[in-house]
Amino acid sequence: MGCSSSVPARSTGGLNTISNDSSPATDSKDLRAKLVLLGDSGVGKSCIVLRFVRGQFDPTSKVTVGASFLSQTLALEDSTIVKFEIWDTAGQERYAALAPLYYRGAAAAIVVYDITSPESFSKAQYWVKELQKHGSPGIVMVLVGNKADLHDNRSVSSQDAQDYAEKNNMFFIETSAKTADNINQLFEEIAKRLPRPTAS
Amino acid sequence: MDPHNPNPTPTDAPSPPAESAARLAALSLRGTRDLPPDFHTAEIHDLDDDDDDDDEGYLTAASRGGSSTSAWKEAPEGLHDDDKDGDDVSQPSPSSSGYAGERGSSLDDDPDPEPAQDWPRDKKHLHEDDASSSWRKRKKHFFILSNSGKPIYSRYGDEHKLAGFSATLQAIISFVENSGDHIKFVRAGKHQIVFLVKGPIYLVCISCTEESYEGLRGQLELMYGQLLLILTKSVNRCFEKNPRFDMATLLGGTDAVFQSLIHAFSWNPATFLHAYTCLPLAQSTRQAASAVLQDVADSGVLFVLLMCEHKVISLVGAQKATLHPDDILLLANFILSSESFRTSESFVPICLPRYNPMAYLHAYVHFFDEHTYVALLTTRSDAFYDLKDSRARIQNVLLKSNVLIEVQRSLHENALCVEDLPTDPSSQSASHPPESSRDMNSQSLSSEMAIGGPGGLWHFIYKSVYLDQFVSSEFPSPISNKKQQKRLYKAYQKLYASMHDKATGPHKTQYRRDEDYVLFCWITQDFELYAAFNPLADKTQAIKMCNRVCQWVRDLENEIFVYGESALSWQYHRCWGGI
Ligand SMILES: Nc1nc2c(ncn2[C@@H]2O[C@H](COP(=O)(O)OP(=O)(O)O)[C@@H](O)[C@H]2O)c(=O)[nH]1
Ligand SMILES: [Mg+2]
Repeated sequence: MGCSSSVPARSTGGLNTISNDSSPATDSKDLRAKLVLLGDSGVGKSCIVLRFVRGQFDPTSKVTVGASFLSQTLALEDSTIVKFEIWDTAGQERYAALAPLYYRGAAAAIVVYDITSPESFSKAQYWVKELQKHGSPGIVMVLVGNKADLHDNRSVSSQDAQDYAEKNNMFFIETSAKTADNINQLFEEIAKRLPRPTAS
Repeated sequence: MDPHNPNPTPTDAPSPPAESAARLAALSLRGTRDLPPDFHTAEIHDLDDDDDDDDEGYLTAASRGGSSTSAWKEAPEGLHDDDKDGDDVSQPSPSSSGYAGERGSSLDDDPDPEPAQDWPRDKKHLHEDDASSSWRKRKKHFFILSNSGKPIYSRYGDEHKLAGFSATLQAIISFVENSGDHIKFVRAGKHQIVFLVKGPIYLVCISCTEESYEGLRGQLELMYGQLLLILTKSVNRCFEKNPRFDMATLLGGTDAVFQSLIHAFSWNPATFLHAYTCLPLAQSTRQAASAVLQDVADSGVLFVLLMCEHKVISLVGAQKATLHPDDILLLANFILSSESFRTSESFVPICLPRYNPMAYLHAYVHFFDEHTYVALLTTRSDAFYDLKDSRARIQNVLLKSNVLIEVQRSLHENALCVEDLPTDPSSQSASHPPESSRDMNSQSLSSEMAIGGPGGLWHFIYKSVYLDQFVSSEFPSPISNKKQQKRLYKAYQKLYASMHDKATGPHKTQYRRDEDYVLFCWITQDFELYAAFNPLADKTQAIKMCNRVCQWVRDLENEIFVYGESALSWQYHRCWGGI
């Protein structure tokens, strides 16, 4: 059994990122936003997303492969409806070169580290730089210190992280996917910061 | 024997058993030359429930000498068959688009990667290393290392602690390689060490499971294929730039994938048959699924696979693109062993090593239920939303046509059981008197041994050569526990290896009897049949049962096989002489 040439790439009107619609939805009260999570493997990105989307926390580790896609809608107090299309990336080295595939065209990025792991904090800084270089202009960036429930083992101080976030124009929050602490706040803050479509 | 009529039993009248036997006996046979002459059982302490720690079985029994491993003589007419070696698989032809090669090459861009440590390592026995006696007593080790001796993967123990052992393996391989030769295997007492060199990557298996060299090498080839599926062959360039490159970090989080593949070596015949198996389904049900898959493929998707666990429900390739059975196996293993695919839809770069080892494809994976999933493969990295739409289309059709319900039903009911082997399998059975009374009364069988199918048939695997597909029967009660099943698969593997032996084969039939079972193998241009009978089964009866199985499979072919492109089924039907 052999194989032969692949199909010629279908023309799709010049799309070259994973993004079905870069323009905001027509109803000005409805927003659709592509959101990407980046960070070292094991910091809790998938748990944060699953806590937000399904309200669950599963402590058994399920290593993400490539990237998972989930969506969730959030209603804000000003009655804006935000539909998040969330890319939860794997964070493994082998996919590092492919990360642009997932963050290109994203309206917001959550960069996650584990407050008990200084290495994961340096890795987060790597991702921030990468996004500053190659992310969409005006991308909303959030720095998240996860596993806040493990404060007894903390090795990244909130102050250091806060300072770093301020220097880089990011919003900073500490979360726990395990206890659900600050998870909804995280996504609400992002929703509030998304650029509203200009009326015209 | 007429090669175009591989079934010696015509459909109109069953041949007398003796006649079939004579015809089969005339084909060819080989003896037991491949059994190690000085094999002796050594004390092996079972450490745990691991895959290979419970199978001193089949060969031990055969080589004790007490049992009769019988063989027939070579056929006088010396019928010649094409060289149909098990590993005679076509060369991968790279896709013309060559799309993702550059991406693969940039894997080495990041200078200091950190190892990912977040997968469950419980099966690996991380505390072990080459100094632990438990580690040394494992029956089957797999290692992957670089040509500079850096550990990449080890089945047991922490790779990082095995650096010294890895360096030793590297020294052995390099010593031979440097003298312009290749090292294939080394025998040391009851241990066999098998090597596979793939450019800068070395794969090694150390086993005392008495599997054949060919079998173990085939397993190493699959391990390498799995590695390529995850990283592509462009990982080689990392070694060109930096010979001390640490590849283990690139495999972060994939341990479960390799563990599951190694597990498959002991239960999934696809790992040695180089064929895939289908979920039995009514023809109309499968057609409904295939039609929508074809639609999706026509819209620019390279491959669409609808699978239930490791069984194919339907698969379709764009235009002339075809999937190699090994790629199906490796892809299914990758998907099924990575839990995260079940949590949500995923979009993942993967490489099909037989299709194009250099480039990543992009796979959209979605589970419809616990067992059933679809994989859509494309060369386009921006295709996610299109594939998501395609999946919704497929899902609609599957729901409307009740395919998912039928799949669940088949999963629980449709298995082939040897007990159901029809006594008169021809489609015109109505015109023949039933023969069941004669067959069931086989005098040689005690009532205990009669458990299973007629004629002492316990189990069979039938592989269609043209379709690259196989079916295997369910395990009956005499082979009900996992240990016995693994032992039987090992015996089949051995049989497969000896039938496809390049030096002495290919062979057409083989008949072996030992304490555990009578094994029978029959290979024609069109199919390969592997069957196991109870050890007291009568040879003439056994041959008759094999003929019946073949006829049965052909009667059921529309339900147990999937027919792809019309070209393929055209060729198939022509070869069967117009069904
Ligand atoms: N204690 C604690 N553990 C967490 C938390 N979030 C995730 N984990 C654990 O961290 C591990 C990795 O989580 P996962 O979401 O898979 O990480 P990812 O690789 O970044 O997606 C899992 O074993 C989780 O149970 C948290 O907020 N608190
Ligand atoms: Mg994850």
